[in-house]
Amino acid sequence: MSALTKSLHPDEKYKAGKLGSNMVKAGLGIAVVFGIVSVVLGALQGDHWKRFMYAYVIGWSFIVSIAIGMLWIILLHHLCRGRWLTVVRRVAEAMTQAFPLIFIAGLGFVIPIVAGYSDLYYWAHPDAKNAALNPHLQHKLGWLSPAAFALRYVLYGVIFTGMAAYFAKKSRQQDETGDPKISDRLRVVSGPAMIVFSFTTCALAFDVLMSLAPKWYSTIYGVSFWASGNIAAFAILALIVMWLRRNGRLVHSVNEEHFHDIGKWMFSFTFFWAYTAFSQFMLQWYGNMPEETVWYKYRMFGEWQWVSIAILVGYWAFPFVFLMSRWTKRIEPSLVFFAVWQIGFTWLNLYWNVMPQYDWEVTYAGTQKLVQGPLMGSLAHHHVGLSAVDLTVWIALLGILLVGIGRNLTGNLIPIKDPTLGMSLAHEQL
Amino acid sequence: MSETAVVHEPGKARETFRAITRDVSWVAEAPKPHKLWLLALAVSTGMFGIGLYSIYVLVTTGIGVWGNSNNVAWAWDITNFVWWIGIGHAGTLISAVLYLTRQQWRVSINRAAEAMTIFAVMCAGLFPLLHTGRPWFAWWMLPLPNDMGSMWPQFRSPLMWDVFAVSTYLTVSLLFWFMGMVPDLATFRDRCALQGKKVRSAIYGVLSLGWRGSAKHWHRYERAYLILAGLSTPLVFSVHSVVSFDFATSQLPGWHTTIFPPYFVAGAIFSGFAMVLTLLLPLRFLFNLQHIIKQEHIHAMCKIMLATGMMVGLAYGTEFFIAWYSGNPFEMFAFRSRAFGPFWWAYFAMVSCNVLAPQFFWSKWVRNNNVMIWILCIFINVGMWFERFVIIATSLARSFLPSAWSYYTPTRYDVGLFVGTIGMFIMFFLLFFRFLPVAAMSEIKGASPEAHAGGPSKGGHH
Amino acid sequence: MATKDHDAAPVTPEPVNGEGELYGVLAEYDTPGELVEASRRVRDAGYTEFDCYSPFPVHGIDSAMGIKRTILPLVIFGGGFAGALGGLALQWYCNAHAWTWNISGKPTWSIPANIPVAYECAILLAALTAFFGMWAFNKLPQVWHPLFRKDRFARVTDDGFFIGIEARDRHFDLDKTQKLLQDAGAIAIEPAYYDPDPAKKVMPRWITAFIVASTAFALIPFAIAAKARNSHSPDPHIHIFADMDYQPKFRSDQKLDIFKDGRANLGEQPGTVARGHLPEDDLFFRGLDGEAGAQKWTTGFPKLYPDGRPFAVDGALLERGRGRYEIYCTPCHGYDGRGNGMVPERVKLGGGLWQARNLVEAPDAKGAGGVAVQMPNGQLFNTISNGYNTMMGYAAQIPHADRWAIVAYVRALQRAQNASQADVPPDLQGSIR
Repeated sequence: MSALTKSLHPDEKYKAGKLGSNMVKAGLGIAVVFGIVSVVLGALQGDHWKRFMYAYVIGWSFIVSIAIGMLWIILLHHLCRGRWLTVVRRVAEAMTQAFPLIFIAGLGFVIPIVAGYSDLYYWAHPDAKNAALNPHLQHKLGWLSPAAFALRYVLYGVIFTGMAAYFAKKSRQQDETGDPKISDRLRVVSGPAMIVFSFTTCALAFDVLMSLAPKWYSTIYGVSFWASGNIAAFAILALIVMWLRRNGRLVHSVNEEHFHDIGKWMFSFTFFWAYTAFSQFMLQWYGNMPEETVWYKYRMFGEWQWVSIAILVGYWAFPFVFLMSRWTKRIEPSLVFFAVWQIGFTWLNLYWNVMPQYDWEVTYAGTQKLVQGPLMGSLAHHHVGLSAVDLTVWIALLGILLVGIGRNLTGNLIPIKDPTLGMSLAHEQL
Repeated sequence: MSETAVVHEPGKARETFRAITRDVSWVAEAPKPHKLWLLALAVSTGMFGIGLYSIYVLVTTGIGVWGNSNNVAWAWDITNFVWWIGIGHAGTLISAVLYLTRQQWRVSINRAAEAMTIFAVMCAGLFPLLHTGRPWFAWWMLPLPNDMGSMWPQFRSPLMWDVFAVSTYLTVSLLFWFMGMVPDLATFRDRCALQGKKVRSAIYGVLSLGWRGSAKHWHRYERAYLILAGLSTPLVFSVHSVVSFDFATSQLPGWHTTIFPPYFVAGAIFSGFAMVLTLLLPLRFLFNLQHIIKQEHIHAMCKIMLATGMMVGLAYGTEFFIAWYSGNPFEMFAFRSRAFGPFWWAYFAMVSCNVLAPQFFWSKWVRNNNVMIWILCIFINVGMWFERFVIIATSLARSFLPSAWSYYTPTRYDVGLFVGTIGMFIMFFLLFFRFLPVAAMSEIKGASPEAHAGGPSKGGHH
Repeated sequence: MATKDHDAAPVTPEPVNGEGELYGVLAEYDTPGELVEASRRVRDAGYTEFDCYSPFPVHGIDSAMGIKRTILPLVIFGGGFAGALGGLALQWYCNAHAWTWNISGKPTWSIPANIPVAYECAILLAALTAFFGMWAFNKLPQVWHPLFRKDRFARVTDDGFFIGIEARDRHFDLDKTQKLLQDAGAIAIEPAYYDPDPAKKVMPRWITAFIVASTAFALIPFAIAAKARNSHSPDPHIHIFADMDYQPKFRSDQKLDIFKDGRANLGEQPGTVARGHLPEDDLFFRGLDGEAGAQKWTTGFPKLYPDGRPFAVDGALLERGRGRYEIYCTPCHGYDGRGNGMVPERVKLGGGLWQARNLVEAPDAKGAGGVAVQMPNGQLFNTISNGYNTMMGYAAQIPHADRWAIVAYVRALQRAQNASQADVPPDLQGSIR
């Protein structure tokens, strides 16, 4: 525990140069190629784009959770006068500045819903209004209506974009003026911002993901979504910083001490996510109330149980045991391995959250077709059914995320006049 | 050259370390305790006596002397249990979580906060123990071979989880506290020896296990301390989560909700910090610890209370929203009756103390005004007590069947026992303050700038 | 030990005579930084048996002294892992093996419900390993270290920074070593000796005695338990809290000196009848009416209960009869008495044929059929008591008074099931459609 400081290495390269635009190009390429492939594959499914749209929600939730995670660590950093993050905070800020593009990308599923697309969210389906079929859904169809949903979506977009832009702009301003009061200002703002952030994140998770099963509810759902997103967010931060170092930037400033901290956060959220997921599962399993356990019924039995076990082992047990050690976080190849691993499993976790809702039960009253919605009917009809479009849509959206990040990787990659920079550079583990 | 060669006298740099030792040791070494300390000890011991009498009546008569009924079967007893456990959590948070996140300001208060944890858990443990009705059968809760056939504890019950969580918590907190204290006890040992107090020196000598500040020892000590901190963090989460499981695993509306575990943990930290300040603000004044417990440390704690208060507020909001969103009529009714039912006053006491009171901490003026802080902390303590009461009593008083609806009023023995635990808590804390190192001297020294002085690698500084 | 204020140096040197053998050299340094630097020089000079002493962990001293990272974390991980597995095994043994019990339909081996306790066990064992492992690796407690004999060393817990080089190091040479330490910037240097009393070089005897005594003391409860498990005694257990284990009453197998055989239970005595157990009323107990020798089944009901209360056929009796009937009779005879209870229905489902008596079937014009309707009350009572064809008797299950209540109810049932419109009270006639 030292209050030692260091000054920036004279040979340090901290100007982004062309790196940002390289990333934009790469991201754009990925987005376009995989976007086209996805559209083709989605059309070939012949299911009125249903699979495509589900994959889109998964992929979009993934990229938005990355930016949310980074916004959170920036807020926390200011709130607690954190130190170690300073040296990589500019990268984190660039990641949060992807928000506008992310929310534009999200229009890909929001606009169809507003336009009357009813195969993604059951509450948007005409049969949801059938009071005999769905007695407990009627009172909230005003809240879960396409118009209200879109309105809230815009609100979330504005809030997140605004917060991210404010913190990034002020930080850049400090590069110019070197005014330490900016840090104080940000610390004051980060308090209320954290509160708005918490409400917005929870509400977004309730709207985009939880309402896929509109009759099911869990108060911890938003916290759990945020926790799992943070795992991948820190993983992506680590990968981008490594990539910058490969390209000669930040070589003298960022060292294994900082990666160790990123790894620690990955570890902490691996643990915290498991805690929230276990709380949700155990309480609903133990309480055994039909309206709740149905969500787990389709995940604990049938084909989905294997995905559940894979997540338990792969997303929690394996990384938990290994990230506990010191070396796994300090040796680059090992941290890369776990970062990529956790990014993959964060996506799988979202897939597991979303996809069991894909198969909707349909009955016939005479010749009239009645759609009863998700999480109903025989277990045997609920397939994992991983298809290529699930992955290509995700990769295309990752491309968009890269574009969003790359666009903002400009100028100084280190907040060079931040008062805490010296301590961040001299940062050492206990 | 076989006798002592004194080359030159120590330099000025060491004055800082000596000052820290003196400031902290003074509290225990002062020949006569402060009059206010004696008065507080007398009052708290008296309160403890009231508690002992209440326990005597309870044990010899039965738990019928409490206000609990068939319907409101958990009331003050479990409210107090959850409240005390929550208070304990701030101690672990300060000593472990803030250690892991390198918040250096913790060093001045961690020792006192850890002591508070232990005394609070002791108070907490009393309540479920007495609520069993026959505390002498408490060993039935342990997996011990017995003469009742092959009868074993029922591990699918959350109440069993409590037994394990709380006893593990007490054990680990004690180990952590004691381990952190060993180097400081060694300081006391050596000071007493130098002052010629042989008996005290011998007692502190045994307690300090022959600690001699060896670098090889420090190396393992620091690793072990870090790991104990790493273990305490998930432990502190698990303990209040398990406490919340007592409620959340049931099907009772108002109890069964998945946000309970983190919500209880946030509330625990909230109330614990309030209690730390409630105790330390007067004692800091009494024992001149302003140099050790600085105003900026108090600032930081105010901010943590503000943050956790908002988290608790977020949970209140989420609960209400989901109660509506669920479409479950029982769920909706439970929350309506919570806010507007017969216990509305408890609900509004809770919201105003927990969500509104901490809003004052936005103001820097308030954060510099220790009297104001102390009053707000009392409000938060009260509010968090009401939170537990609201969850426990109002949900039970308005359960599924209207025929089971009832009201709860405490008896004098409920009150007496609660007062007694407060007395016991304060009494132990005052004794701790007088006889043990109240602040982690070795950690404060290690965190001071002088700890890095005199090295040849001065090039590293700028 | 000196009584003066320790802040004031120096300390008078101790004479070499009257000392034990040489332990090594102790040197004091002024600042943590100088300590680190000095320890680096001691290490570079090839010393291995030396240690630094400081009031707090000094930054950078580990690498300066060349201290290897401890394996303690690995041991603690092992402890935690063992705790988790042990916790799971404990719960499996207790609830899935030794004492299986149905708790709200949850499986006996319920992993989700077993996680919290396994988790706590893991943390508990890891913490215990960390705590005791740390002291064990550090070879503490050790209150008899030779350096404690130095007054100056008392500062190590306050503001002093020391290096101690042991005499057993192969590079050790009293003069050269002191020179090295002095060159490294020591502010004070002195040799350190063991206590001349060899007993004080090792653990003091009183500590050994204390450990032995307390270990022996701790074994006493186990010894008592072991003895109790292997001996027999007619005396009851020691109950510190009696609860309701002992009540002022005697049980049949207990001793009582009043009686000849010394037993609390007198047993059945020839020629005696327990109170209320004399079934002398033929009408009530057997349903028989008339003069002795020419008794017939009664067509009425008893007049009195055995305890002398008057017997009344009223609503309360019918209500009681209905309850008893629905418990004991409906499984076969059905709620309406037509013999279509659940048992015959199930037999039918299985493809078998098994008929229960239709209790309410009225006899036809020639008087055939309708057996139960034609039976006198007494015979119905007797049927309930002793059975009929394949029906077994219910005397063991249903007390006499309840059998009469059932008879009354069956009569009501027969009336109701064969009712005509004329049976409806005149003022309600209009409401029938």
